[in-house]
Amino acid sequence: MKARAEALPTQEMLINMGPQHPSTHGVLRVILRTDGEVVVNAKPDVGYLHRALEKIGERVTYAQFMPFTDRLDYLASMNCNAAWAWTVEKLAGIEVPERAEYIRVIVCELNRISSHLIAFGSFTADMGAFTPFLYAIRERERINDLFEEICGNRLTYNYVRIGGVSADLPDGFLEKTREFLDYFEPKIPEYNDLISYNKIFVHRLADVAVISGEQAVAYGLTGPNLRGSGIPFDLRKNEPYSVYPKLDFDVCVGTGERGTVGDCFDRYMVRINEMRESARILRQAIDQIPDGPVMAKVPRVFKPPVGEIYFRAENPRGETGIYLISDGTVNPSRLKIRAPSFVTMNIFEEITKGLMVADVVAVIGSFDIILPEIDR
Amino acid sequence: MEALAISLVHALPVLSGVPLWAMTLLVTVLVAAVVLTFALTYSGLATYVERKVAGDIQARIGPNRVGPVGLLQFLADGIKLLLKEDIIPAKADRFLFILAPYLVFIGSFAAFVVVPFGVGLIASDLNIGVYYVMAVTSLVVVGVMLAGWASNNKWALLGGMRAAAQIVSYEVPVGMALLPAVLIAGSLSLQDITRSQGGLFGIFGWNLFHNPFTFFSFFLYYVAALAETNRTPFDIPEAESELVAGYHVEYTGIRFAFFFLAEYGDMFVVSALATACFLGGWHVPFLSAEALPAVWGNLFSLGVFLGKTLGLVLLMMWVRWTLPRLRVDQLMRMAWKYLVPLTFFNLLGVSLWLLLFHGKGIPQMIASLFG
Amino acid sequence: MGLKAYLSDIWEAAVTVAKGMRITARYGVDPRETITLQYPEERWTPSDRFRGFLHNDIKRCTSCTMCVRVCPIDCISLESVRGADKKLVLVSYDINIGRCMYCGLCVEACPPKSLTHTSGYEKAFVDRGEFILRFVPEDPEEIKARIAKQVAEAAAKAEAEKAAKEAEEKAAKEAEAAKSAEAPPEDPKGEQMQSPAAAPLAEAAFAAGNPAGKPEKPPEEGGEGKKE
Repeated sequence: MKARAEALPTQEMLINMGPQHPSTHGVLRVILRTDGEVVVNAKPDVGYLHRALEKIGERVTYAQFMPFTDRLDYLASMNCNAAWAWTVEKLAGIEVPERAEYIRVIVCELNRISSHLIAFGSFTADMGAFTPFLYAIRERERINDLFEEICGNRLTYNYVRIGGVSADLPDGFLEKTREFLDYFEPKIPEYNDLISYNKIFVHRLADVAVISGEQAVAYGLTGPNLRGSGIPFDLRKNEPYSVYPKLDFDVCVGTGERGTVGDCFDRYMVRINEMRESARILRQAIDQIPDGPVMAKVPRVFKPPVGEIYFRAENPRGETGIYLISDGTVNPSRLKIRAPSFVTMNIFEEITKGLMVADVVAVIGSFDIILPEIDR
Repeated sequence: MEALAISLVHALPVLSGVPLWAMTLLVTVLVAAVVLTFALTYSGLATYVERKVAGDIQARIGPNRVGPVGLLQFLADGIKLLLKEDIIPAKADRFLFILAPYLVFIGSFAAFVVVPFGVGLIASDLNIGVYYVMAVTSLVVVGVMLAGWASNNKWALLGGMRAAAQIVSYEVPVGMALLPAVLIAGSLSLQDITRSQGGLFGIFGWNLFHNPFTFFSFFLYYVAALAETNRTPFDIPEAESELVAGYHVEYTGIRFAFFFLAEYGDMFVVSALATACFLGGWHVPFLSAEALPAVWGNLFSLGVFLGKTLGLVLLMMWVRWTLPRLRVDQLMRMAWKYLVPLTFFNLLGVSLWLLLFHGKGIPQMIASLFG
Repeated sequence: MGLKAYLSDIWEAAVTVAKGMRITARYGVDPRETITLQYPEERWTPSDRFRGFLHNDIKRCTSCTMCVRVCPIDCISLESVRGADKKLVLVSYDINIGRCMYCGLCVEACPPKSLTHTSGYEKAFVDRGEFILRFVPEDPEEIKARIAKQVAEAAAKAEAEKAAKEAEEKAAKEAEAAKSAEAPPEDPKGEQMQSPAAAPLAEAAFAAGNPAGKPEKPPEEGGEGKKE
């Protein structure tokens, strides 16, 4: 081998994967050093979508920041909306009506399904199967229809308000949600038949980019990426907030069913199973939702007390943490957002060593990163 | 060609003054033009069908704006591509960059020459038909590699290298899987192979049902052929989500269209080969095209052949919109660990079968048992 | 790898591929599964709460500037002057829909409910300046001039009345004895209002947008399109 290498001098190749690349899920740039097809080093270069959201948060009022949280993780706007509302409410000690909390959980779980659908669809598209992506989009359209009915927009919802939600559920919304679930739940086995257990797909993902449980914890992975490594940590269970304690659901973890625990396939399967669990939560929430007001009394000129707060919520991409310092004025003194996708990118360089170029795409897809959240 | 020219001169006395070489040349050019026109029209329509199939499978509609049910979409696309700016990257190797699409195009479309469209419809019934197809389609590799290299783009280079490795590897199982048909017919001419599959036993005369080994041989050939045409699940040289567009990432306008047409041409050629070698070519059960009067026989056999071939092309499209893509090492493993040994095994089996049963297929064998 | 594993590998591949292809075939042949909406010909009806382009019914608008204050990106600009009857008169109301992010905060904040979301979502322009929707059709200068004139007239009238009254008083005073008139003359010019200072009820809310110490930028200058 060595003799051959001397006779035939080869060079490592430096490739810029992105910022414009079909499968970096946005404007992520990965600086690839490859030895032919094998990746020697893959360094993610983030920041192409930086909009200074944290700084904007310090310039606008607490209520005005709500539409900006839509832009944090645009595939899960509801979850980001709700995380911001929960943070500010926790800081100011606002008691939110129970109906509002249930509505929040319903929209959050619906959005979790739609976000995981995109994760599933774009991941399969990255793997070369384009059809499941369109099926996922088709299902997501139905959720978007529901959201359009409830808040009037299809992507940047801006529905949740500090102290509640902007409007009560429209008539027949819960029935429509139940109809959607009846339609959606049989689709999951279909996805599994179509692509999840496809031999080629399994081969592409099993034993690729294995992250052990310790590694995942050490690097601060959260959400499905952490659970894919077999750690049953879910903030909805471990640090319950809102009405989640009243709902019964399981935490999905990677089992290594086709390879090693913590490989790309496990991370993928966790998302598929979580869609099922979200549907379960939704059904319970629809049954339990009480009547009542949807908005607490919040003064128009809202000034929370002086203090600081860290709140974390389980979003589709992991733990979205919001750290907030209030100086008692109408706008935050300091705002820091812990974005799960950003934290996930830390481990990228380590686990992509020695993989193929095609696996790098698989890893990005299995992490289900979203660039506006990484760059904020 | 010469024979055709002579018969033409005999049929039309007006032409008797024309020297034979000129007549032959004329006939050759005419035949070439007809075949090329067919090939281009087919390729164009195939792009339309591909998009329509994709649309149907993905719960969409597909093209439906240009012409009736969008049938003229391919013309619109073609015109658009013709009018696009022709960009050659500044650091590209200009000569090779320009040459590459032609090589790919020639490699794909030269194979149409030996496709046995009907009883007498074959541009040139070469006695080395199968071999010729294998040889000519190998030219595609050269073109793809040149395209990858000359673009001076790292993604294109990766795509070109992948394509070279892939197509060279898959030539082996493709050839091996076709050999049983050659063994049974005792000839490399595609017309001879097709004729050997006739007989009154209907589809049991086809090589597909000749014996168990040829049955598997067909599927092995089809899988290998998918890989050879760079179709999903083996489209790693293009691999849109990994290599952006692979070897033709820097090509624009009509140069890109050449690659595109060549891909569809390739699909037709491999499907035609599968039809001729395994699905009885233009044979259908209980009706012999050879027995019909010349024109009707030819038309009938053309229809049958195209029907079978386009069915296989459609299958390729269906597969494409269902399956994900293999990784490059898995692709190689599939070629060398699965397809090559299995095709060898099949070849051996067919040879033994022919040796044991004197070249007879299952129906004849059963028939001979009953006297 | 044993022979059994080798063969089961092939078998599994064939079975899973067949399964997948069965599903795609079902969608392929079933016309009911097509969900495409042929957009320009077929349209979906936006829901009641649809947040389309903003529309301000200027007849109902009270120029309170709540919308301007609550807008996180300053895409609404509003100018008003104090009219003769002490009510605010809208001089210009522009929304830059090129900047608007359709968050709906302004609509929620609007006290007279004059600002609404329409169900419109189709608009195309060739120039960026056209993105600014103007809701007051007249020229702002004309309105200002007209209102100023009205105010001046009213003031003059008031002045005249006052003068008459004063004269009367004076006469009365003179008649009674020595006492001086004390009423200061009123500002004859109509009070020109800059919107931030206009509505005191939302003073604090606006201050939130601009941290203490920073000079306040009047929202009227906020529209990018105006500069072009």
